[in-house]
Amino acid sequence: MNEPLIVCENLTHIYPGDVTAVKNVNLKIHKGELIGVIGQNGSGKTTLVKHFNGLLKPTKGKVIVKGQDTSKMRVQDLSRNIGYVFQNPNHQLFAKTVIDELKFGPTNLGLPEDEVNERVEKAIAFFNLEMYRDHHPYRISFPLRKLVGMASIYTMQPDVFVMDEPTTGQDHITTRIVYRLIKKLRDEGSTVICVAHDMILLAEVVERMLVMRDATLIADTDPKTVFSDKELMASTHLSPPQITELSYRMRSKKMIGSIALNINELIDASSKKYNLKRSK
Amino acid sequence: MAGDNYLPPLANYSEGIMVNKKPVIEFKNLTYYYSLQEKPALKNINLTIYEGEYVAILGLNGAGKTTLQLCINGVIPNMIIGNFEGDVLVNGLNTQEYPTRELAKIVGMVFDNPEFQLTQTSVAEEVALGLENIGIPTDDMHAIIEDALETVGLDGLQERSPFELSGGQQQRLAIASALAMQPEIFVMDEPTSNIDPIGKDEVIAVAAKLNTEKHMTVILAEHEVEVIAQYADHVIIIDEGEIILDGTPHEVFEQVELIEKIGLRTPQVTKFAYQLKEKYGLKTKGLPVTIDEAEQFAVDTFKK
Amino acid sequence: MRGAVLPISMVPGDSPIHKIAPLPKLAWSFGVLIISFMTRNPAILGAIILAGIILVTIAQIWKPILKVMAILFPIMVTTVFLQSIAPAFPRPWTPITDIGPFTIYQEGIYSGITLFMRSFGMTLFSMVTIMTTHPSDLFSSLEKIGMPYTLNFILTVTLQLIPILQHEFTTVLSAQKSRGMKGTGFGAVLPSMVPVFVGAIERVQQLSISLESRAFGSTGKKTSYRNVVMRGKDYFILVTGFLATFALGYWIVVDKSLDWSRTMTFSPGLSLTLVITTALIFASFVTIGVTRVLRA
Repeated sequence: MNEPLIVCENLTHIYPGDVTAVKNVNLKIHKGELIGVIGQNGSGKTTLVKHFNGLLKPTKGKVIVKGQDTSKMRVQDLSRNIGYVFQNPNHQLFAKTVIDELKFGPTNLGLPEDEVNERVEKAIAFFNLEMYRDHHPYRISFPLRKLVGMASIYTMQPDVFVMDEPTTGQDHITTRIVYRLIKKLRDEGSTVICVAHDMILLAEVVERMLVMRDATLIADTDPKTVFSDKELMASTHLSPPQITELSYRMRSKKMIGSIALNINELIDASSKKYNLKRSK
Repeated sequence: MAGDNYLPPLANYSEGIMVNKKPVIEFKNLTYYYSLQEKPALKNINLTIYEGEYVAILGLNGAGKTTLQLCINGVIPNMIIGNFEGDVLVNGLNTQEYPTRELAKIVGMVFDNPEFQLTQTSVAEEVALGLENIGIPTDDMHAIIEDALETVGLDGLQERSPFELSGGQQQRLAIASALAMQPEIFVMDEPTSNIDPIGKDEVIAVAAKLNTEKHMTVILAEHEVEVIAQYADHVIIIDEGEIILDGTPHEVFEQVELIEKIGLRTPQVTKFAYQLKEKYGLKTKGLPVTIDEAEQFAVDTFKK
Repeated sequence: MRGAVLPISMVPGDSPIHKIAPLPKLAWSFGVLIISFMTRNPAILGAIILAGIILVTIAQIWKPILKVMAILFPIMVTTVFLQSIAPAFPRPWTPITDIGPFTIYQEGIYSGITLFMRSFGMTLFSMVTIMTTHPSDLFSSLEKIGMPYTLNFILTVTLQLIPILQHEFTTVLSAQKSRGMKGTGFGAVLPSMVPVFVGAIERVQQLSISLESRAFGSTGKKTSYRNVVMRGKDYFILVTGFLATFALGYWIVVDKSLDWSRTMTFSPGLSLTLVITTALIFASFVTIGVTRVLRA
């Protein structure tokens, strides 16, 4: 019952021109996980996740999705189980209305019309797109378009959502919406894998972090452990969220015991340490 | 008093008033409608930017940041059709009277997608493009190009194809191309949104350099509030086409409630200090906006 | 990953041919073009091909040339086949032999072979020019002889855009496959073109603003970064090119005996072999092409 959904066995990918993008990665992903994949551009993080829905096939090693070896499978077939949301929604959207866009995926899966419509309605409700049903995808704002992109994969009801930079370039409101949606997806039983640079997303939303550097998986653990490891962070040239940085400093000055991943954590740690009394 | 400890030294401000600096950009009663739009993209903008400032513009997507910036080099109203009321003066020149390609001689502009700005077959030629257009003699070009590339950290890459560079490098190339023309004013529209973290840091560092070393007036639209609080000396917040806040980082970011009401956020350390104060009734003077100030704040608040 | 990866682009190198300025090379290519169209004389065309081969060898660009030839070869061979049975030539035609329902004509074979040689020679010379000259130098030379700056610019940008749009198209295709896009025919691929076009339009819009912001098209003197300097030997080659073209052209016009179209004969055996071989190549070319399109 607890079979992993995705397994990578000694996964290596070498691009033409002899560029090794991913070297000997081993990992297992189970249902219901909320994972963040981080690393600099060129670290191999995007190459890695593209193996999950078959966009890339291993040069060496194996990738097994729901018990099947992906090397013989087509992207279209894997898309039934693994949804991939591209970073730029413009690369996906081509229909005349948002509704048509949402229908595309499930229709391709060969589902009957009423099933397709049911799924589309569910997606509209989940992503709060009621106002935009009949709008042309290119006439709505970019943040909304990104949501439509996600919704169009949602209607395919895959087990796993792979999202490429879901919050990059977004303003604060949309970013918070995306965080909420990611959590909601997981609560519905989906597995979500985000490739991201958004440190706050990684600190406050995901539960497991895969850290890539120079084609190697150098860490596979929870965010707190990753962010606590200053050497690891420095070697990837990624800075933790500002509040975590503050907690480092406070910890080194012996003002608190452990690092904080978000503002509330730091407030709690400070108030406990200094026995602060609530006002009013 | 404790509060004064965290105010950073403000080169251009003295009690919030500009001292001895000339205004380089003046927005006077500017209202702008994009064609066929009922709601104005900018409403009654009155704003003065002084020489040498590092200005940051914050706002939600669609609030008007880009629109405001496009008014500085005349793209609005000269290249984009719409309804333009009021005046924008750049170095005293009215933007309605000069085409963008002329204003380009004093205003350099870099946009958010680095790739969309590059057209030439080599890095050096990309930087040379602007120089060719303003008639710099061929013999002088090499030195200028080298200087520009060095400023952005791309020296040695003259012969590479721009399309082989990383996102951060491409954006720095776009900056070098505008920089080579030696504009007085440098405008950047969300320059870091499409690039990776290392690239982001590089671009922000270059922007700071332009301000401190090249003495350009820098105007940056960004979402990363922590970065803005660190570098800018003049922060403007726009919402639905109107200026909501306009002042120093402290004057702006300490208005936590107002900022959150709009849907934006303050630097994390500011929110932390604010919540601490609200929840536990602590008495401090002002709130920190940078990490160094926050560290000091923590020491002052707790180690007493 | 990126970069202008067209089969037809400059091949970096240090050969004597690379060192020649763009204008003389352009002049010679143009001359070859003119002469090739003026005559069908196999000896002259053969000499041009030989010269081309020598230049390619000196420039050391055989590998890229062969890549280009791989694409052009089937097309040229097809021409030979088709010409043999249906000459693009004024009648009367002299039949040599029959093959099935088709008749092979002497003029046809002559026409086919000379067309083949013509295109081969022109391709060699133009490829040598393109592959040994930096595009920017080429453009700035063209500008010196009167080509408008804007046209130049458009060409440079287009050169850059083609591989980029190719890349965009591949990305879009991946995105649609990830949504379970069914079908492989052209119809399924067409919707994927929409995002590519929209992307291209957005790019061009942004580009125009970006260019204006760098004073593109402003008043005042324009200068050029790339400075092509013509040296003595470049002028020499340029002038020789003009003279050679002129002289050869004159000879062709004046000397009627160069027209071998009626005097060259081919044996039935040779003709049959030639036509069957080219027909087979033609057939396989068509089959491969069609299956590729259907399977895409």
